[in-house]
Amino acid sequence: MGEIHWEMFGASVRGAAHSRDGRPNQDCIGWARDGGAGVLAAADGHGSAKSFRSDRGSRFAVQAAVKEILTLIGPHDAPVSLSAIKRMAGGALPQEIVKRWIEVVDIDLREPDGESRVEVGSGPLIAYGSTILAVGLTGSFAVYCQLGDGDILCVSDEGECVRPLDKDERLFANETTSLCAPQAWRDFRVAFQVFSERTPAMILLATDGYSNSYRDDSGFLKVGTDILGAIRCEGWESVKNDLPEWLSETSLRGSGDDITVGLIVRNDIIEAGRGEQAAASSTP
Amino acid sequence: MSRLPGEAIATRPVHFIWIADCSGSMDYDAKIQALNQAIAEAVPHMKTVAGENPNAQVLVRVITFSDGAQWHVSVPTPIEDFKWTPLKAGGMTDMGKALSMVAEQLTIPPMTDRALPPVLVLISDGQPTDDFAAGLDELMSRPWGRKAVRIAIAIGDDADLECLQQFIGNCELKPLRANNVESLTAFVKWASTAVLKSASSPASQVRGAVAPSGNVPIPPPPDPVTPAGPVDVW
Repeated sequence: MGEIHWEMFGASVRGAAHSRDGRPNQDCIGWARDGGAGVLAAADGHGSAKSFRSDRGSRFAVQAAVKEILTLIGPHDAPVSLSAIKRMAGGALPQEIVKRWIEVVDIDLREPDGESRVEVGSGPLIAYGSTILAVGLTGSFAVYCQLGDGDILCVSDEGECVRPLDKDERLFANETTSLCAPQAWRDFRVAFQVFSERTPAMILLATDGYSNSYRDDSGFLKVGTDILGAIRCEGWESVKNDLPEWLSETSLRGSGDDITVGLIVRNDIIEAGRGEQAAASSTP
Repeated sequence: MSRLPGEAIATRPVHFIWIADCSGSMDYDAKIQALNQAIAEAVPHMKTVAGENPNAQVLVRVITFSDGAQWHVSVPTPIEDFKWTPLKAGGMTDMGKALSMVAEQLTIPPMTDRALPPVLVLISDGQPTDDFAAGLDELMSRPWGRKAVRIAIAIGDDADLECLQQFIGNCELKPLRANNVESLTAFVKWASTAVLKSASSPASQVRGAVAPSGNVPIPPPPDPVTPAGPVDVW
């Protein structure tokens, strides 16, 4: 396989329960590119009474992850070895993301927007508490990075879904690890993958409102298989168009939580889908 | 795509279990009748609360303890289909056995890890006559036992407040002391509506920063009701 190119897209919808209660969407998603590198990140603000600014916290989390991962995997003045990137991904990267997030929260706390710092009390970080899910990738490798609940799925060409990161058994009964926790970097799960013949066809990131909407995990994993199938059969543009509606409908009938999904798809998969579409439209 | 990606979509289950003392002493001063009436009156309110949150499926069960323990309603029953059938009193107070049987049901499976925290409401007027500590240990050995919202209501002055406090496992939340029908009715209604509503509306809690009251915020309970007539009947 030659140089791999990726397309990225995502959508974030306000949960059905949030709409009923008048709460905002406390999830966030973002993606960026620099040269041949790309990063997609999604975050889920905790939304509890203590984390009343978590809609901002999730936005800052996405900003921090995108910036720090791009800094790590993007173009460098001097060549950086894969082993060095792998080492930094597992070591310094979580610390840099947490440090950047705290810096941005601190700036926000100083903003004279009418909400005083007093409002957040002695532990201001928890007001902004958020998870973070991020994938950074180039044509030759990927870095998977997660703190807190949510899912990252790798979907193979055959439609098989696997999680590149080990399950964190501590994430149970609404409890999550968080950027606002002391020494939060210790709770990150990070994996590094050099692309080979088993390069994923698609990588899916989702906040936990999505998996919590399915009766069981196998039913949720089929999401990856089905979306990849839809890209092939109905086209990338069609999936991009339909994704927000799928998520809103899923929240309404499922968890009621905000749902955010990011998709990273190999360009040859998208081109093959376009070919299918063109062939179908030219068939009399 | 004509349908949504993935397989079956489902709301999140929230299991609500009444753990009711049916020992012989509950027959005195019509306590069992008062409990039956209080829960029967609370059921419509539970249905209303559940109806306001269509993303949580409230599933109700009832277990009683006297000589041993037995499921009065063993199948998790959707609240919209739930009907209260009155309890009868007689026998000892084998509370530990009831907790042990609840523990069996809080394993994964049959529970799922996507469930909302269960709500366990323990109501008793007396002292356990079996190995309460063993039953509680078994309950707390299950992840969903530890993470359940555990509420206790003491009926009358003879209830073992220390055991009920151990069941709650949170020094900030005390057993509710019902010394008359009105108070019992108010506490039962609170547990089955305000607490249920809170458990059904999840917000993520930061691990390590969870309040002693647990990962579900517990709304303030009502004060005991002082009726116009005799103040304490139990």
